[in-house]
Amino acid sequence: MFDTETEGARIELRALTKHYPGQPAPAVDNVDLDIPAGELVVFVGPSGCGKTTTMKMINRLVEPTSGEIRIGGKDVLSLQPDELRRHIGYAIQQVGLFPHLTIGQNIGLVPKLLGWPAARIAARVEELLSLVNLEPSLFHDRYPRQLSGGQQQRVGVARALAADPPVMLMDEPFGATDPITREHLQKEFVRLQKRLRKTIIFVTHDFEEAIKLGDRIVVLRERSHIAQYDTPAEILARPADDYVAGFVGQDATLKRLALLRVEDVAPVGPPQPTGLPQVAAGTSLREALDVMIAHGSDRCSSPSGVLTYAALCGVVGTGRPSSTGQEPEAVPSLPAPEKVVAGGR
Amino acid sequence: MAADTLTADILGSEASEGAGVPGAPETAGALTADRARPSRRAARLRLLLTPAAVCAVLAALYAWVSAQDLDSIEQRSLNPSVILTKAAEHLEMTLAATALVVVIAIPLGIVASRSRNRIATPVILTAANLGQAVPCIGLLVLCTFLMGVGFQTALVGLVAYSVLPVLRNTMVGVQQVDPALVEAARGMGMTRGQVLRRVELRLAVPAILAGLRTALVLTVGVATLGAFVAAGGFGELIINGLKLNRMPVTVVGGVLTACIAFLIDWLGALAENVLRPRGL
Repeated sequence: MFDTETEGARIELRALTKHYPGQPAPAVDNVDLDIPAGELVVFVGPSGCGKTTTMKMINRLVEPTSGEIRIGGKDVLSLQPDELRRHIGYAIQQVGLFPHLTIGQNIGLVPKLLGWPAARIAARVEELLSLVNLEPSLFHDRYPRQLSGGQQQRVGVARALAADPPVMLMDEPFGATDPITREHLQKEFVRLQKRLRKTIIFVTHDFEEAIKLGDRIVVLRERSHIAQYDTPAEILARPADDYVAGFVGQDATLKRLALLRVEDVAPVGPPQPTGLPQVAAGTSLREALDVMIAHGSDRCSSPSGVLTYAALCGVVGTGRPSSTGQEPEAVPSLPAPEKVVAGGR
Repeated sequence: MAADTLTADILGSEASEGAGVPGAPETAGALTADRARPSRRAARLRLLLTPAAVCAVLAALYAWVSAQDLDSIEQRSLNPSVILTKAAEHLEMTLAATALVVVIAIPLGIVASRSRNRIATPVILTAANLGQAVPCIGLLVLCTFLMGVGFQTALVGLVAYSVLPVLRNTMVGVQQVDPALVEAARGMGMTRGQVLRRVELRLAVPAILAGLRTALVLTVGVATLGAFVAAGGFGELIINGLKLNRMPVTVVGGVLTACIAFLIDWLGALAENVLRPRGL
């Protein structure tokens, strides 16, 4: 259906508006947004700001009043809506697994709608169950009510991936789980997305989740006006206005530390296996700082070298007197932000 | 040997400890199965209760009638061929009426459940309510003026009377389906028809079957009125017995009607168990 079949496709929204009849103001007002192929973009904003409505217009569960939507260059509004939705993965907070179907049947539903042969569906279901870390032989024939909340969410993600769609829409898919399960699912999901490189629109009201998952974040205010559209590191370092700053919260610097790994800081010396608190490779700077504070030390040692408190401040600090237009170090783990259209009127 | 058993024991106890951890994936199914087992056995026993009781009542009825000194009028009604004929007529009326109810009430229930038919819903419900509220015997008399006496006239009355439970249960059954499921189904690319057939109606099956069961039992009772429009059935035994002042004939007609109602209710329960979607 879309030119790029399985890898992500670019999504373009142009002057997208939804005005419900009888309402004084539009729910979504003139949104322009470009979502690069293969990126996970998080829509974050308070409840009722129109983020879910904006998302649902992309698979036309909500019909736009006016505007344009293009996926991989194709005009979505000219396509048959049911056919369109079969090529867009969709996961929601309530999961919505069909209780009368087994896990296998739930996952195989969209491929079946698309008319895949039975053998191909069976193979795909097995593959997806393994992909979301559920043992196929154990779970294939179970019914949804026999699964825990976290397991159901994973099946929900597997089901959204079933037909290998280039685009996925996810509406707080981990919202209904407890914090521990949630964090686990988020980590798994990030790993999964690194492999699959789908174009994903992920809706949440949880800014922490947005930072953890997003390649980019769209901070929305009421009527889906875009307050800021940028990478998590940029939004944390340079919130566009007070509204975004309010969303970021008081601990923006700590949150930025959490985005960086010990390898991202130039060490002040070779690793010291003894005499200093130790952190493992791949530890986030926030955790490294935690270790330093816990040990009352201003430095710690990782396999890549010795890390100092001053070096941490150098990476994320903005209140330094020498900050005359000086950029904080680029974030190597994230793609550099390319020029994208971002702006609602 | 001994060591092997010991290892097995240890492994076994470890496994059962593992099973005790809340949220361990394998346990959820096992626990529900364990909890369900005694209640399932109880349900199975309850299922045997109805046929056993009906058999006992029939045996007692047979013994009582055999002990009576029947006169020629009674003998003309209380003989196997007449009773079997009446039973066949009664069942025929009941099943034909129920089949018509299925064909009429389920589609109407679906129409009434759709939110875009907000105007049609009260009209449909009022009509169905009227069918049940109007005394059936009055309706039968009215139908006789229009259609004459006979099987078909009786059917009209029966259908009018038993549409409501099926219609209402279909409507409620479809409406009570979790909106999140409908949204998920639409979001996955099912057409409205597919959502209705594959999700909403499947999940409404228990409610629809419960309505059908109620309708069947109602119909068995009301079918006795079919005798007034010469449609036969056990109603004939009851009315003849009353008219001719032959108490045993009336009792046999009444008891047999009740037995059929119980058996049909029982079959309904069996059908509910078999047809309810697994996983609910």
